[in-house]
Amino acid sequence: MTADARPAAPPSEAFRLRASNYSLLTLRLLSARPEEVLPALGDQFRRAPGFLRFAPIAIGLDDLDGQEVDFAALVSGLRKLEILPIGVVGGPQTLRAAAAGAGLPTLRSAGQKETEIEAPAPVAAPPAAPEEAPRPAAARTLLVEQNVRAGQRIYAQGADLIVMGTVNAGAEVLADGHIHIYGTLRGRAVAGANEDPEARIFVQNFDPELVAIAGFYAVREGLQNASIGRTVAVRLEGEQLRFEPLG
Amino acid sequence: MAQVIVVTSGKGGVGKTTSSAAIATGLAQRGKKTVVIDFDVGLRNLDLIMGVERRVVFDIVNVIQGEAKLQQALVKDKRVDGLAILPASQTRDKDALTREGVATIIEELSKDFDYILCDSPAGIEKGALLALYFADQAIVVTNPEVSSVRDSDRILGVLQSKSKRAEEKKEPVKQHLLLTRYDPARVERGEMLKLDDVLEILAIPLLGVIPESESVLKASNSGNPVIMDSDSTAGQAYSDAVGRFLGDDRPHRFLEAPKKPGLFGRLFGGGRAA
Ligand SMILES: Nc1ncnc2c1ncn2[C@@H]1O[C@H](COP(=O)(O)OP(=O)(O)OP(=O)(O)O)[C@@H](O)[C@H]1O
Ligand SMILES: [Mg+2]
Repeated sequence: MTADARPAAPPSEAFRLRASNYSLLTLRLLSARPEEVLPALGDQFRRAPGFLRFAPIAIGLDDLDGQEVDFAALVSGLRKLEILPIGVVGGPQTLRAAAAGAGLPTLRSAGQKETEIEAPAPVAAPPAAPEEAPRPAAARTLLVEQNVRAGQRIYAQGADLIVMGTVNAGAEVLADGHIHIYGTLRGRAVAGANEDPEARIFVQNFDPELVAIAGFYAVREGLQNASIGRTVAVRLEGEQLRFEPLG
Repeated sequence: MAQVIVVTSGKGGVGKTTSSAAIATGLAQRGKKTVVIDFDVGLRNLDLIMGVERRVVFDIVNVIQGEAKLQQALVKDKRVDGLAILPASQTRDKDALTREGVATIIEELSKDFDYILCDSPAGIEKGALLALYFADQAIVVTNPEVSSVRDSDRILGVLQSKSKRAEEKKEPVKQHLLLTRYDPARVERGEMLKLDDVLEILAIPLLGVIPESESVLKASNSGNPVIMDSDSTAGQAYSDAVGRFLGDDRPHRFLEAPKKPGLFGRLFGGGRAA
């Protein structure tokens, strides 16, 4: 079984504009000086090769107390590290204007700030802050023992995610690695959130609003009924999501 | 120590205030000293449904702002011993309620009462968060329809993460499902969710199912909580729920539509004259 992960636009149209939300890593600058930031980043790369390679990132300016930044130097340094800055977030207007001059537009965050994301209290590990050492995907596992309820969002950053309960409609679970759900998936599950096409989703009782792997998604409408209500493994094959019944 | 119980739902108009009034009255009828607090500042409904609106002098905001003593603001029920109401203000805005102010009130009430019921406003914003913050137990009021169930699910998540118990990593808030306005005939026609479907999604213990009943509206118009109308199905269902809450073992009733008379019933049932 397959579902069209990204339906192509009919040929008569040259383009379509759509509002979309993307999950981005933010590089929060704690120093205004590229000559400090760049070597520190380079160090982390050697420890986790390929993690951020060609990754689009936003540059966070909130922690700089308005100190001036040489954005041109920062951008060219980041590009050499194969990190692609696409804009800035936060910070004072003057700093954002300087960034815009260097080709970095201001991004507005679509929803809540990271710190406001609701997670059930007993979940021990809060999402690791992006400035921590990047880890290869699935180095760890985040275990959620209860149901994930409407309005809740759980992100297993750099990790696999195991949900022992149900993910209800209106709830969202994300993992950079694989996702295992031992109850029913009625909400959304996004695996390989850091663009890992090898990530998979395993669901005891499959009834989702949306599933995605490495950015390729299928909404409920595009799913074939055959897999609904069954135990299913989802993986990415090329650009197609495949749904295979288990057991 | 008193038990603090929040009556909450997320979605508006599902029967929180009706249920708060009925359950508070039922607990007091069973000899438990009970106070019910109206957290719906700006709307103030509970005192109407409890039939005490003509005796309200001060309200919770007056107490928090030091303009009245708690004892002055409490309205004692004249029908049932040991039942009191702390009304909401109709004129102040919602920001007049502070967490510290509510904490002080709850602490003081804890000395005199067994149960403190908090009738939450709708939504998942400030007022609703404050109403559930101090809860030991939560009665989640849900109607058998998709949007109400979804909102109840949200509120359950909020109880898990934003209550005082959650913040202090104590034993979680004890959760009860109260399914109200249940209309078995409409459920059978597929117009409303079945009890089992709601239970499967929300996955919390069932305190009771309150049937849709005209007596609820009559009760609120007359200011007598519907639990006092022991002839009505809704009143009986609320009594059952209170009993279960206190540990009684009572089977659930009113889950099936009353059987329509069959052909014989219609032919010989002493119906209308032709
Ligand atoms: N079991 C029932 N049968 C029939 N009508 C009911 C029942 N329960 C509640 N109602 C009606 O539903 C309406 C809303 O009830 P109520 O005010 O208790 O809801 P609420 O959740 O407190 O609303 P709000 O969110 O505005 O505070 C009222 O008109 C009430 O009479
Ligand atoms: Mg109300």
